[in-house]
Parts: sequence; C-alpha cells; structure tokens
Amino acid sequence: MALIPEPVRQQLNDRFDTVLTGPVHLTLYTRPGSSRLILPAGLGCPTCEDARQMAELLRDAAPEKITLEVVDVSRDAARVEIDGVDDVPTIAIGSNSEPGRIRFQGLPTGTEFPALIDAVERVSRLEHGLSEESVTALAMLTEPAEVMVFATPT
Amino acid sequence: MALASPQIKAICVEANEFPQLSNQFRVRGVPHTVINRRAAFVGALPEPDFVTAVLEGAGVASPHPDPPPQAGEGVEGEINYSPR
Repeated sequence: MALIPEPVRQQLNDRFDTVLTGPVHLTLYTRPGSSRLILPAGLGCPTCEDARQMAELLRDAAPEKITLEVVDVSRDAARVEIDGVDDVPTIAIGSNSEPGRIRFQGLPTGTEFPALIDAVERVSRLEHGLSEESVTALAMLTEPAEVMVFATPT
Repeated sequence: MALASPQIKAICVEANEFPQLSNQFRVRGVPHTVINRRAAFVGALPEPDFVTAVLEGAGVASPHPDPPPQAGEGVEGEINYSPR
C-alpha cells in the first residue's frame, strides 16, 4: 500500500504548483537496506524506507522546484558529522545545496505531515511568518542555537 | 524561526521513534521543546514567549522588559513559561 494515497498526492501536486515560488533542496539522511526491526539507537532504521518514499513524493510533486539528495549515513560518516545529523531518517529542508537547518528526524506522518509541507512551502517562499519584533529579537543571537521540538503523529 | 535567523537549527523529532532521545530529555508530553539541549518547556507558546524562551535558552538576555520567567521546580534546566 502506498505511504501517501493517490488523491493526497494529486492534492500535493496541485498545491505545490501554485504555492511554491523558489527552489527547495531536500537532503534525506538514511541507512538504506535497514530492516523494519526496532533496534537500539544507531542500529537499524525501521522507517528509513518510508522516509525515502516520502522524500521522493515531495520531490515528484514539484520536480522543477524541489531537488532531493540522499545521504547514506553508513557510507558517509564525515558528511553526517559536518551536517550535524544525530540519527536517521532525517529530512533536511533548505533553499540551496547547503544542508537545511529545518529538519524532521523520524518519519513525519500524521499531524507532522502538514508541518513538513508547511516547511517546504515556507522555505520555497522564504516566508518565516514571524513579526518584525520577533525577527529583531532573534537577531540578538550571535551563536548557533538548536531548537528541538518533540512531537508525535497523533 | 530557522528561516528568520541563520543561527537557528530547528529539528522536529518524532518522539515515539527515538525513545532514548525522548528519555534523555524527559519528554512526558508534546510538544516538548528543548533549546541547546539544556533548557526546555512543554506546550505551545505565543510567538513572543517562544522567541523569549529560545533566546534565554541560548543564553541571550530577554528582549522583553518584563521580568524573566522563574525556573520551576521541575527538571533542572527546565523553563516554565506562561503567556504574558
């Protein structure tokens, strides 16, 4: 069974066709060939195959705007360290070939799927949606900061 | 927020899929936000409070004139924020 039903795919195609304006670069950090067994951290990846399907779904919904790069973490440990990726699957969303700073670690299904779509659209349109006051306040950050939000699909 | 500041990296973690990470940061409910892996708050905050939490979690003084929120009695490093 398809991860995303065909009607939803079509809706996504139509939506991206009108909403996306600029390029989006997705980077999928994955461990291909992993079984669906749940193993200790760092071993296996039960959702990597589904994450690949989801990333390809996004790319295929707007191939003229969205590019997808797949990084096999078991073969490219240096890249994983440089990009600061903790675990797989991780989908990073950026507007150019640099590793995106908006990331989804784990399979973004359920209520996280709309957040993934929203992130793609915002990156494409370069629309953060924050107030001027917030942007001014955030400009006080002079060092890298990590904001990690734990969520569940339901 | 990561689009508004080049300093910010935003990561949405599927809590059920990474139980060790969830346990490490004592995730008991969602959304549970952890800033620089040392300060945290639970729940959704209005935008100004979220920004304040991120700045304070990153060690930057609050941009708001209000007194900074007091740390609660919960987890060490946890920030208790209530909407202003």
